[in-house]
Amino acid sequence: MLRDLTNAIGHWALFLGLLGAAWSVVAALLGARVRGKGLQLSAERAVLATWGLLGLATACLVAGFLADDFRLDYVYHYSSTSQPLPYKIGALWGGQAGSLLLWVLLLSGMACVMVLTNRRKNRALMPWATAVVGATITFFLVLLNFIEPPFLTSAARPDGVGLNPQLKNYWMMIHPPCLYLGYVAFTIPFAFGIAALVTRRTGDIWFRTTRRWTVFAWFFLGTGVLLGAYWAYIELGWGGYWAWDPVENASLMPWLTGTAFLHSVMIQERKGMLKVWNALLVILTFSLSIFGTFLTRSGIISSVHSFATSDIGPAFGVFLALVFFGSLVLLVSRLDNLRSEHRLESVLSRESSFLFNNLILVGMAATVLFLTTFPMLSELATGSKVTMGPPIFNLVNIPWALLLLALVGVGPLIAWRKASRENLLRSFVLPGLVGAWILLLLGILDARAYLASAGALLSALGRLDVSAGFQEFKTFYPAITFALGGFVLATVAIEFWRGARVRVSNYEESALVALGRLVWRNKRRYGGYIVHVGVVLVFFGVAASGAYQIEAVRELAPGEPLIVDDYLLRYDGYRLLAEDDYFGAVATLSVYDSATGKPIGTLEAEQRYHPNLMFPELRETFQHVKALGETGSPQYAEGVAGLYRLVTLLERQAGREVKTPSTEVGIHSSLSPLAASRFGEDVYVIPLAIDPATGRANLRVFVNPMVNFLWLGGLVFVLGAHLAVLPDARERRRLDAAIALEERSVAVA
Amino acid sequence: MILIVVPAAVASDQAEYEHAAKTILCDCGCHPQSVHDCACGRAAEMRDEMHALIEQGRTGEQVIAAYVAEHGEAIRIAPVARGFNLLAWLGPLGGLLAAMAALGLIVRRWVRTPHGARPAVGDPAAPLAPDDGAYRERLRREIEELR
Repeated sequence: MLRDLTNAIGHWALFLGLLGAAWSVVAALLGARVRGKGLQLSAERAVLATWGLLGLATACLVAGFLADDFRLDYVYHYSSTSQPLPYKIGALWGGQAGSLLLWVLLLSGMACVMVLTNRRKNRALMPWATAVVGATITFFLVLLNFIEPPFLTSAARPDGVGLNPQLKNYWMMIHPPCLYLGYVAFTIPFAFGIAALVTRRTGDIWFRTTRRWTVFAWFFLGTGVLLGAYWAYIELGWGGYWAWDPVENASLMPWLTGTAFLHSVMIQERKGMLKVWNALLVILTFSLSIFGTFLTRSGIISSVHSFATSDIGPAFGVFLALVFFGSLVLLVSRLDNLRSEHRLESVLSRESSFLFNNLILVGMAATVLFLTTFPMLSELATGSKVTMGPPIFNLVNIPWALLLLALVGVGPLIAWRKASRENLLRSFVLPGLVGAWILLLLGILDARAYLASAGALLSALGRLDVSAGFQEFKTFYPAITFALGGFVLATVAIEFWRGARVRVSNYEESALVALGRLVWRNKRRYGGYIVHVGVVLVFFGVAASGAYQIEAVRELAPGEPLIVDDYLLRYDGYRLLAEDDYFGAVATLSVYDSATGKPIGTLEAEQRYHPNLMFPELRETFQHVKALGETGSPQYAEGVAGLYRLVTLLERQAGREVKTPSTEVGIHSSLSPLAASRFGEDVYVIPLAIDPATGRANLRVFVNPMVNFLWLGGLVFVLGAHLAVLPDARERRRLDAAIALEERSVAVA
Repeated sequence: MILIVVPAAVASDQAEYEHAAKTILCDCGCHPQSVHDCACGRAAEMRDEMHALIEQGRTGEQVIAAYVAEHGEAIRIAPVARGFNLLAWLGPLGGLLAAMAALGLIVRRWVRTPHGARPAVGDPAAPLAPDDGAYRERLRREIEELR
């Protein structure tokens, strides 16, 4: 049978892939020792072959999904006959084994790119880099072959369980691959870092040659985090986007240390300083990537992301310990080769501000790690379990983040080595004024509230009431954020203006041409500044939507209005529906300006129920009602109402749930620049319950000011990151020259 | 924030309910949300339970205590700032301040005493001698090339 053949091919392709990966490690290590070209070539070919085999295995698993082969346990758990095609493919990474396969497929693909782009350079580093990447691939393939095989089969089954309904969403589908691209790509700079340590080539070649990998990894991890936040916002329906879920935290930590790494390598590049720190950062970042996936899969912490527990936890633990402690031992043994070439000359310098930037980023990662694992610590120390929910993370992390925001403005403008008074005045007086003015303005606008909070803060401190003190201090965060954000935007504007002005005066270019050429010739630097602008926008969005959110809960009958903030919402009506794999009700609302009565837009909020199709009566009725809908039958609405009644009846009989609820939030975003006062604001409606007979809807409505600044900031971030990785002829020339120089000096030595 | 205009007695009931609902974790286990925030079915049940308890005359604190008595301290969305838990509340902030102070001191020490520094040949840290014409000329040429 073709299905049997495909499953067998997939199974054996995974095994052969394991052999190939293992050989690539052995051959690379031997090649490094023996200095024979043949062995390294063999190792690199094994890398390419492994990717081919993994591609084949993945194709076989996807084929199982497309063919609805429910004998495959994996397909059975994550797919069903009624699952739409895109989600059948996306179900590949819906579970433990498939997501491991995706991880190793991506890693193996990147290993191929690494091998192919380094055919004629970095030949001394490549054997060790190949060995490290190969070893990681081997580890994942050991898991896939012996602990979590994806091609396990059981007896034939008529239908599958299907994906969790909340995962059947475009953003949720692209979020894992995006994150994986990030996690996985950090393996390459790590591999080169280890190679540099082993070969004692501890100059700056190892991270300059992998700069684009680092930015690529950092970009996809950051984007993956934002996509997850966006999905949470539109799907989970609590009006927020980040809950400090342990697995969310696991993706944030390597991104924080990765950001630190991206910045501190600039210091090593310019000044030959921070060599130990950079090596440590790349080790930390890769370890946190592995730790992140360990946290999701081991069952140590339960969360919406958790996969089923299995023996995978200990295996990851061992691998992580080997990687982390092994790398540290190597690092310590090479300390002699990691001496600084220059020294720090002043606290007020760019080097110093980058050091503080690193401190905060790594400190935040440490904070998140500490708080995420605190429940386990608490249980060990006191025997009682505690929960680390959003309140403690938010309160504790925000001071760090605000300090970081300040540094985003200081870093790019402060002078190298030692900032003189002239430099400080010239660069920071204007942005400082902008920030101070914003702070003053916001203070005046809401003076009474700030004075009250200040008073309450002092009294809480007097009582030594820590959590109350934090609560009161929270009131000042938005104002501080906007002031610092203004400061940063002003510093970025100054940088662009100064650079363009020099070109205008030296080359007599027009301002626009000057600006364009300036950015184009310094893509790395100005791409970075654009990323900073994106970061500021994200801060604005977080501050405003967190502090100034407005909420209302009301039950409305069709036709009734509701006023929230300066919006008038009218519940126009509802309709019942059954499609795809759910039935339910859609409420339509119109949004008006409550002062002028002008219509602003409409939105639809859905309450969905995904019936458990294991119940034959339910399955047949559901298919029948769906067919009524497709033919436009007048009995359609009554059919859906009947489904509601049937589900209630079955639940009473069976004594358990026979449906999974989900909601589609209705959102209206104000994105027109004409309505400036509500630019970026969302009206956000969650249907808590919709009565199918009367249409009475219990609605929860949020007004989220400036929340779209988060996603807009994300887009700016994407633009800046793309700019920073574009090929640059000058950078290429200098790197080639540096590599040639190092080759010559090593040959002479 | 909630904007609902209601009579005083109901308002204080609402305040008590909100205090409880924002302090207690929804035990559906899917996402670390308070009962007030979580949009799942279990949270709706818990909200109804809490409303019922408030209507019986209990305060928010009493409702919280009841849940803690039944489920343990882990039912709170964030731990009470007492005892071992102070480590979580104060540790990171304290750590930040301590680390910044430490870094400041370390940097100060590096600045004052040359630390492991082996200046490279042609150390840019040394100011250019006024008669270093050849070097200046080379510099000018290289800058031109890089443009």
